[in-house]
Amino acid sequence: MKMRRKTAALLLATLSLLSLGAATGMTPNGVHAGAVAPASGPAPVRRLTEAQYRRAIADIFGEDIKVVGRFEPDLRVDGLLAVGTSAISVSPAGLEQYDDIGRGVAEQATDAGHWDKLVGCPRDAHGAEALSCARRFFSQTGLKLFRRPLPAAEAERLARSAVAIGDQLKAFPQGVATTLAGMLASPQFLFRLELPEASGRLGGYTKASRLSFLLWNSAPDDALLEAAAAGSLDTPAGLRAQVERLMASPRLRDGVRAFFTDFLQLDEFETLSKDGLIYPAFSASIASLAREQTLRTLTDLLIDRNGDYRDIFTTRRIAMTRTLGPIYDVPVARDGWYIHEFPQGDPRVGLLTHAGLLALHSHPGRTSPTLRGKAMREILLCEKIPSPPANVNFAVVQDVNNASLKTTRQRLQAHLDDEECASCHKKTDPIGLGLEQFDGAGQFRTRERGELIDVSGSFDKKAFDGAGDLGQLFHDSAAASACLVNSVWRYANGRNPSAGDEDDIRALSAQFSGQGYRLTSLLRTIALDPAFYGTSTDVRIARTHEGKKEG
Amino acid sequence: MSRRRKQLPRFGRGLSAASLVAMAATLASAADAPTGGEPGVRAFVLSNIYMASSGDAGACPVLADGGIEEYFKSLPPEEQAKYSVAGKLGELEQGKRPALEQDMDRHFGFRRISPRNKSVVSGQAKLPPDFDPTAKPTAEMALRIGALNGFPKNRGRWAFSNQVIAYSACTDPLDFPQLGKHFRTYDGKVAPGIDLDGKTKRGDFSGLDGAKGVDNQLWRVMGCVRAFRENGDKEVVEKIFISARAPTLIEIRGIDDPRNDPEVTVNIYAASGSLVRNARGGALAGMTFDIDKDPALRATTRGRIVDGVLTTDPVDIRLNYKEQIIDAPRQILGARIRATLKPDGGIDGAFFGYYSLASYWDSIEQMTQNGANLTSVSCPGVYRALHRFADGYKDPRTGRYTAISSAYGFTGVRAFVANAPAEFASRRGQ
Repeated sequence: MKMRRKTAALLLATLSLLSLGAATGMTPNGVHAGAVAPASGPAPVRRLTEAQYRRAIADIFGEDIKVVGRFEPDLRVDGLLAVGTSAISVSPAGLEQYDDIGRGVAEQATDAGHWDKLVGCPRDAHGAEALSCARRFFSQTGLKLFRRPLPAAEAERLARSAVAIGDQLKAFPQGVATTLAGMLASPQFLFRLELPEASGRLGGYTKASRLSFLLWNSAPDDALLEAAAAGSLDTPAGLRAQVERLMASPRLRDGVRAFFTDFLQLDEFETLSKDGLIYPAFSASIASLAREQTLRTLTDLLIDRNGDYRDIFTTRRIAMTRTLGPIYDVPVARDGWYIHEFPQGDPRVGLLTHAGLLALHSHPGRTSPTLRGKAMREILLCEKIPSPPANVNFAVVQDVNNASLKTTRQRLQAHLDDEECASCHKKTDPIGLGLEQFDGAGQFRTRERGELIDVSGSFDKKAFDGAGDLGQLFHDSAAASACLVNSVWRYANGRNPSAGDEDDIRALSAQFSGQGYRLTSLLRTIALDPAFYGTSTDVRIARTHEGKKEG
Repeated sequence: MSRRRKQLPRFGRGLSAASLVAMAATLASAADAPTGGEPGVRAFVLSNIYMASSGDAGACPVLADGGIEEYFKSLPPEEQAKYSVAGKLGELEQGKRPALEQDMDRHFGFRRISPRNKSVVSGQAKLPPDFDPTAKPTAEMALRIGALNGFPKNRGRWAFSNQVIAYSACTDPLDFPQLGKHFRTYDGKVAPGIDLDGKTKRGDFSGLDGAKGVDNQLWRVMGCVRAFRENGDKEVVEKIFISARAPTLIEIRGIDDPRNDPEVTVNIYAASGSLVRNARGGALAGMTFDIDKDPALRATTRGRIVDGVLTTDPVDIRLNYKEQIIDAPRQILGARIRATLKPDGGIDGAFFGYYSLASYWDSIEQMTQNGANLTSVSCPGVYRALHRFADGYKDPRTGRYTAISSAYGFTGVRAFVANAPAEFASRRGQ
């Protein structure tokens, strides 16, 4: 403990070495990122998400380094955490958490088991040998952590700090660990600082970061950093080579998973729970597997098979594992994950019938056509549904033992008699009721309290009867495809589009359709688009230039 | 009944004819099983197999004494006083049972050796030089180790899941007849079961439903033993899993109508995995189980469903029975199933048949003397009654019966069976 207090004091000293405030407006005690961007317009500063932080640590220091601690919550803005990353900073409590997590990582990275691989020089080095060693380590590690090369003076300051702390503690590794912990709590690591260079344009390293976080959800790897250093990302051929390399990598899966986790709000699974008396087959492990099931199903269709995005609503293929068998009421003869294919005519078809999503948008002890309909509208169609008024009376809807109104449809109908409620519910409930053959844990049923469940309805003035029909209508919905394009764009850019971006997004949508609704094509198009690497100034200049050409 | 007409899948009731036709077409292709599993097949994992109880508590006003109670009663008053509740001579104080048990072990010369870790309860074990603790235990090795350690001649048997070699009233009940002196058998007129031999004869019971000629002599043997009576109690049955570690599966194939079908195939398997609990603490329904690799733990027979009740033709079965220290598969000869198929997909019913004396005694013997003392069972009493009331499968050579009529209830939940051998998976009850 004594050692910990001492290193804490030394860490503060280290933080001051990192010129924290200069780039972000964050004070040296790390309280506030005053320069954060609004949710629309350019997004020069984005906080790393928890997933990005974890991935970066694994990439830089190794998969065996444990990242232990609670992260400050991410913020969802207009449906996407990615947009929220440019609207949040770090609270004092949050910095403390980052500090704790960073210390844990630094201690592991510099322990005897990792020292040789990551640092390399003798643990008892001192004097010039220690300084040289620290200089090399911080220079190399700084490049990966801060996603840009450290100026020699900055590396020198860090190296001297590490040696001085090591001398004071009579342990060189402690000095390295303390300085490294400071770097891990630095805004230059925690935030993606996408500031223009003196020319007003984004530099190669910033481009590398944008590209890497979009496609791999992690910091750039060595090859990408080398390309940035060589300036090849500034040439169309060099950029294309890197884009193709990243897209051909298995790590593209990480990037696509990260997008869908954000887009479908799968992070909500972490707090999903059900009433065990009502849904005894559901458990925390089911929730976790259900999330994984959706992600695996999507990557199977969209990456492994390079399929049509719209087919997520109609595919009969679904990732399955034995533990999920009881929820789906199917035999699972294999161990581990595999792709299960439901036969034609089966009630399970497409994303809308994934048990996890059905359970997520339900109450703990009953279904909710309203929540399901709201989620479909907001998430999959990018619509906005207002929150209910504070004084709304849910008594009838919640009375699951109502003797005369046995089904949820009947109870909701009674609710809809209220004109004020009806205006929103008519958007959400009809499609939500189409999924009523799946209970609050996502299990199939045909009856509710003995009554046959009616799953007919209409969506966009087209009639449907059940989840299969509804999935087909979503498949055919131009709004659903447009929502995906819009969401990928916002995810990539970390912000909502401004007025000037709308034409670009429309063009992107047209291209998406023309390319057979392939997500990989959409990602490639964005990754190769110069506008993706531009500051708002860049984009304005480019548009003016294009306008002149066209004129 | 036509074998061509297949059962509508459970979810099919809400589907259109067109989609069912489409599904039927796909079922013939490469698609996996639909929601609800393979049409025409229902399977169950049994969460509890228990000795069915007559519920006729009045027939046992005094329950059978266990071996330790017999010993206690046999002590002279001054000795009994040491283990009695203060001021109540003859009433065993529960806290003094361990001391009484030690006294009993010394008195009868019970022995218990744990050769696999070279420790013994009563002294240092001597082991033959060729003893290999990792080798499969043999009866011959148990006798040799017994001889080396002063056991009586030709005594010493493996017990406690083959972890110990013991000599006691449970390994050698005939050596200690005095510990079964007050063993009580069930003298009631009613017992669960069915008429296994087609005869109504002296000693048969009336069934719980009033049926005559019920054969269940195992209940006559065990019906007044407290632990066995309690295990058949409905509340206990529903709350406690027996054989959760190695559950039994029942699979019905070729079902055209789940309420009435004159011909189905019934497969009985041992599962290779354990039962999984749900959030309520009950058995999780809908899990898929692989079957045990041992072919001896599989059986198949014909059956029929009438008004939702399944009955089968007789078949010899071997059911896994692994519970705590016991690993003694139940061999039930000429077993028939009668079971209600519940609307929730579960099953309640019983195996009726002749339990082989050898496999039944194996389960009692494996309790060990400690287990018998804890549950107030008299091994000599059970042994003697078991052989006295055995009523099935006479050995023509000895003229002695080798099995005893029995009724074992079970309860189970819906499950799926995976990786059954092709000859089982393809059977359609034709």
